[in-house]
Amino acid sequence: MKKIIYLMALTSTVLWIMSCEDDLNQNPTDPDLFTEVDVYQSPSQALGALAKVYAGLALTGQEGPAGQPDIDGSIIDEGFSQYTRILFTLNEATTDNSVVGWLSDPGVPEINYMSWEVNNPWTKGMYFRLAQNISFANSFIENASALAANSNEVINYINEAKFIRAYCYLQLIDMFANVPLVAEVSTELPLQSNRSELFAFVESELLELSNALPASGANEYGRVDQVAATALLSRLYLNAEVYTGQARYNDVIVQAERVFSSSYSINTSDRNNNGSAYDELFLADNNANGAQNEFIFVIPFDGINTQTWGGATFLVHAPIGGSMNPVDFGVNGGWAGLRTTKGLVDKFGYSITSTNADGHPIAWSDARAMFHTDGQNYETEKLAVFKDGYAVTKFKNVDINGIAGSDSSGNHPDTDLPLIRLAEVYLNYAEAVTRGGGGSATTATSMINELRSRAGAPTITTSELTTDLVMDERSRELYWEGLRRPDLIRDGKFVSGSYLWPYKGGAASGKAGEAHRKIFAIPEDVLLVNSNLNQNPNY
Amino acid sequence: MRKLTFLVTLGLLLGCSAFVWAQQIIVQGVVTDERGNPLPSVSVIVEGTSRGTSTDFDGRYQIQAENNQVLIFSYIGLETQSFVVNSTSLNVILSESVSSLDEVVLIGYGTVLKKDLTGAVDLVTSKDFKKGSVVSAQQLIQGKVAGVSIVSNSGGPGEGANVLIRGIGSLNLESNPLYVVDGIPLDSEGVGGSRNPLNVINPNDIEAISILKDASATAIYGSRAANGVVLISTKKGSSGEFSFSFNARTSVYTPVNYIDVLSASQMQTIINQTQDAELISRLGNANTDWQKEIYSPAMATDNSFSASGSLFNAPFRASLGHTNQDGILKNDNFERLTASISYSPSFFEDNLRINLNARGFQTDNDFADRGAIASAIHFDPTKPIYDPASPYGGYYTWLDSDGTKLSLSPVNPMALLDLKDDESSVERLISNIKIDWSTPMDGLTGTINGGFDRSNSDGFTLVDPNLPDDADGFNGSESDYANEVTNLLFDAYFNYAKELKNTNINLTAGYSYQSFEYDDSSSNYTEFLNPDGSVNTDTSIRESFIDRSKNVLLSYFGRANINIKDKYLVTATLRADASSKLPEDDRWGQFESVALAWNLHNESFGVDNLFSEFKLRLGFGEIGNVNGLGDYNFLTRYQSSTNAGRYGFGNSFYQTFRPAPINKNLRWEVGKTYNAGLDFRFAEIDLSGSVNAYIKETNDLIATAVVDPFTNFGTTIDANIGDMENKGIELELKGTIIDTGDFSWSFNYNVSYNDNEITRLENEQNVGDLGFGSSLQRHSEGMAPFSYFVYKQIYDEAGKPIEGAYADLNGDGLINLDDRYFYKDPYADVLMGLSTTFNYKNFDLNIVSRASLGNYSYNSNAASAYSNLITNLGRLSNINREYLDSEFIGLSGKNNQSDYFIQNASFFRIDNITLGYTIEHFFGENPLRFYITADNVLVVTNYDGIDPEITGGIDSNFYPRSRVVAFGFNINF
Repeated sequence: MKKIIYLMALTSTVLWIMSCEDDLNQNPTDPDLFTEVDVYQSPSQALGALAKVYAGLALTGQEGPAGQPDIDGSIIDEGFSQYTRILFTLNEATTDNSVVGWLSDPGVPEINYMSWEVNNPWTKGMYFRLAQNISFANSFIENASALAANSNEVINYINEAKFIRAYCYLQLIDMFANVPLVAEVSTELPLQSNRSELFAFVESELLELSNALPASGANEYGRVDQVAATALLSRLYLNAEVYTGQARYNDVIVQAERVFSSSYSINTSDRNNNGSAYDELFLADNNANGAQNEFIFVIPFDGINTQTWGGATFLVHAPIGGSMNPVDFGVNGGWAGLRTTKGLVDKFGYSITSTNADGHPIAWSDARAMFHTDGQNYETEKLAVFKDGYAVTKFKNVDINGIAGSDSSGNHPDTDLPLIRLAEVYLNYAEAVTRGGGGSATTATSMINELRSRAGAPTITTSELTTDLVMDERSRELYWEGLRRPDLIRDGKFVSGSYLWPYKGGAASGKAGEAHRKIFAIPEDVLLVNSNLNQNPNY
Repeated sequence: MRKLTFLVTLGLLLGCSAFVWAQQIIVQGVVTDERGNPLPSVSVIVEGTSRGTSTDFDGRYQIQAENNQVLIFSYIGLETQSFVVNSTSLNVILSESVSSLDEVVLIGYGTVLKKDLTGAVDLVTSKDFKKGSVVSAQQLIQGKVAGVSIVSNSGGPGEGANVLIRGIGSLNLESNPLYVVDGIPLDSEGVGGSRNPLNVINPNDIEAISILKDASATAIYGSRAANGVVLISTKKGSSGEFSFSFNARTSVYTPVNYIDVLSASQMQTIINQTQDAELISRLGNANTDWQKEIYSPAMATDNSFSASGSLFNAPFRASLGHTNQDGILKNDNFERLTASISYSPSFFEDNLRINLNARGFQTDNDFADRGAIASAIHFDPTKPIYDPASPYGGYYTWLDSDGTKLSLSPVNPMALLDLKDDESSVERLISNIKIDWSTPMDGLTGTINGGFDRSNSDGFTLVDPNLPDDADGFNGSESDYANEVTNLLFDAYFNYAKELKNTNINLTAGYSYQSFEYDDSSSNYTEFLNPDGSVNTDTSIRESFIDRSKNVLLSYFGRANINIKDKYLVTATLRADASSKLPEDDRWGQFESVALAWNLHNESFGVDNLFSEFKLRLGFGEIGNVNGLGDYNFLTRYQSSTNAGRYGFGNSFYQTFRPAPINKNLRWEVGKTYNAGLDFRFAEIDLSGSVNAYIKETNDLIATAVVDPFTNFGTTIDANIGDMENKGIELELKGTIIDTGDFSWSFNYNVSYNDNEITRLENEQNVGDLGFGSSLQRHSEGMAPFSYFVYKQIYDEAGKPIEGAYADLNGDGLINLDDRYFYKDPYADVLMGLSTTFNYKNFDLNIVSRASLGNYSYNSNAASAYSNLITNLGRLSNINREYLDSEFIGLSGKNNQSDYFIQNASFFRIDNITLGYTIEHFFGENPLRFYITADNVLVVTNYDGIDPEITGGIDSNFYPRSRVVAFGFNINF
């Protein structure tokens, strides 16, 4: 009897032990963690995954304004890792448009001095940000395909993800030149591609998307339509000679004309009645004050729902310092870091209306000259000193009535940031015309005049339309919007000794930069992990 | 299939049994301690056989033996005694152990006599514990064991320690050993809000600590033991009359040194030299030494009480302990209440023995904001603490033109300490029931051990509305969290002891199930006011988070101990582990170990003339490791975003879903140890020791590795990336130098050398984040892990570093990344420990000292430059006085990766000096001992930073260790 009891006890123990092996199959129990089945169960659910592909260019992680970063803190500090903040640093602060005064922040002096190294956190952060977002897009495209058969909506989502991927690749071509071409989810270490191969991929993707995406104006605000692809194509072709050695200015004309026939229009409604409809583009209510009609591809920020320490938060806070009153900008304080140089200020020389005792300009008739000069020096003698260099007042977190945005703490603006707006395509067209791409000089002139008139600046005649004028016009119209470095490269001025600005090349009065600075270095971490890749020349 | 083979093998091992009996008599008696208290659970074994029993609650035993056979009585911490059987009655008195040879050593799932050990195992019993103001159990063995490095995490109260056995065994996984308390392995991860996972044990409750160093000893514990095992056995109840013990101690903690920063006058001189009126206008008139303000002497009390005796005819022990310690950082406090109960009844003529243990603690923590440490280093010394005009509760604050806090300016350190209330309350209960059943089959014992370990913590941080904050209308914030960790353990194993001619065999086979479940929740709320003073309900948002995870570890194990003629000892272990953290195909790992020992002193070739013990050991063992690896890494997961991290399409905001980094190829990290050892004890003089040499290979190291961002969704994943090797040699010596009766002087010395090298690495890895993306260290093949990878500073003729001038090591005319070189690493080459005890009549004097040689630290507080001092942010910040030497202007680019800031942090430290006096027969037979003790008495080092002993080598804003002087007594009654 006893033995039977023992045997039973033993048997049941063994059976129980065996059953425990199933316990080794653990699945996430965390309510914030989801599987493919959850995320791709329906088109409406999948919109959240698409939102991540867009948000990769707006936010830094899954917690606003910071937390659960996309990019590990060992690569770049989360607050620094936001796309448009790095875009500003690499494409504006490396040029005559801006200096960054926080010299104790890592990598910042080298950005100012055109002496960045392989491990510069900004270039490194940009590489990871763009490549990671391409991985997000690839994942979305692959997973959403299963839903696409029954849903035209999902086909649109996939095309939008393809657009974001193409946008990221265009930025990689521009900044890092020789990166892998990866258009599907794979853990295989990719091979290196060159600019021409990448160019061909982006071109064919965008050409297809320029028909496949929703028609002009058919998508909701914040999501792209066909015009975004067409407009981006005009930017791609404009830089084709730099990227592939082969000029494609006529293609710029073709694509720009497609844009002109779309529903987008230059904002001309001066809702705050200050004499110009230009500043409305960069106000807290620029999603509704009329500016939105000009935004072809825009990153929407929101003081409460879309918070980051980069984005508009950075562009509004960082240029405030000296005698500027943060209240005028709808925020709680300034970070006293960003100013411009006389390089940009001098572009407005034709419209000076007032100068100070030293003879430096302090007022302009061109309303795009949004400078704060009180207490600021025209010259940029010391980078770290905020008063050295005019401050820029372009981005604000107040609406047309001067009311601050939704975040009452004054941290995070509602201001949206356009990545492509119609004025750029106007200028792409005009530049292509002057560079022999065909098109109409009359149209180009009238477009420039449309932009100038909006700002209250004097107009030009067709005879005045030259490449130099268009380049200066780009500077005046698009400064601090992330386009300056490629413009200078295309114009042969980025590293040359013929055009200088303070601290270019590390000299206070500026000197020529090294030729290889036209592209950035591939991060060392990436080279270490993928031996298929070679470093860009001279790094 | 592999599992099946394994089970069959075990079955065969167990099956080879036979029944051989000789003519027996029955011997019985009582075992007591020196004071006459009956001792339960004393092991009684017939020498040369596997026959044994243990004493019951009254200390009584009964065993079958033959005349002239030898009975061995052993009990942990007491001296083992042997008696030849010549009558049926034998009463035994066991005294405190003086000879380690006969000590009983805990090993996994059992105990052995030290003389029967085959692996590298150290035992430290309570009498050898480090004295002093010990609050954390780890400190008890600091400096006591060769090859074990114990570095407290900081000078904070109740703080844990980083324990490394034989160097770092893994790059990113847990490098700390497994702690096993009375058979229950503790979860090393602890619970949020807790300062130290070992806080659950009152050091006064600990009887002995065994340190299992090589894989042949730890293999039985399987994957959780990859970095060694620290087995803690607590004091158990005795039988008979209740006896009581009371310990009390009062300690005073004083800050020892401060980081050298500029004084107010140095600051004024430097700023005045700029002749920049605007900068000069930023200077204040005060002279504030911020570090002296945030640190102040602190008090601690520690009391414990225990009762032990017979309850319902079974041994029972209960203890209570209370610790209340202030930190030297203002408003830092740690209060702990510990309680433990053990009860060991037995039934059916002692055939069924039950051990019930429950221990728990409750700690209340007041965390001072450690941000004040950095803030005190950098806050302008020319500014006062209080400023009546300050709108922030009167705490001086850098102000904007509009009278609110200057954006990005640091917060007054005193405001951080006073205006933040960060408290947590942590409770932990560890209970287990262990049932041992001596089956009717002779020599076969079955054991079931069920354990339940639950921790709960609740914490909150309240920020006063007056705390200076950049945000407008900031009106205070509150964050709350609650964490719960539940670990379940179920062990079932059989032990079979069999005596053959000249050979004893002891077999163990079993099964173990462990689950670890984490359930955390948190919420935070920051309130903002509108300009009219009303609460802004749009921005004052409460956010809540829940984090949950669970993992399971399942194992089958078996061990055979074979003893041939007491000369040749063999231990062989097999263990199969499966972890839910690994993908199904690579989930099971099978690990083997074998160890041999040869007792030369039992041979007849004369060694025994000189040595009473002379044992050679050889061992090899394998062990898997996934400790510290995250859960579900091989599954596709999506992380949702919070409300403030949504994205706007049209007029709606969408929660986003981010695919998580994934690694489907994870497999076990496997450690292999080869160990050769020699234990010796001289016959004529009191000198014993051991020497061990080892090679520890870690294969398929799991580390957080950067991925090519085109190939994954994150920037890093945990992956198996390479191999590593630790090799070293250890020597321990223990003995008495003088013993004249009234006066004695004894010592315990250990020294170890360890060399750590990465032997294979798929890709080099940058580590040692300096913040903002630049790194200081690199893992590279052929180098020690965490080696510094830096630029070689060039100095002028006066020996002053030239800013920005570095050696062009590759000679290409450029100073770039290719000119960095490997320069030293943070881990010591040689560790030494020396403890010495003097006794004169009733006085005792203990000194514990340690030395560490060849460890280098990066003095990041010294890596401070002018650009940190005068910023363009409308304020001034203090910097390290080192600036006066280097005069570096900026720290960007290469300057903070200069070898100039990497300094030799070798040190000699007197950890503790204790002087005690014992009054014998104070309470009847019972003594009273009182003592005065000092901790952290002296540090000798060339290192310039605040403390040379910093885990990981990057010395930044360290909470300094204080000097402690304490007075205490213990009394038994």
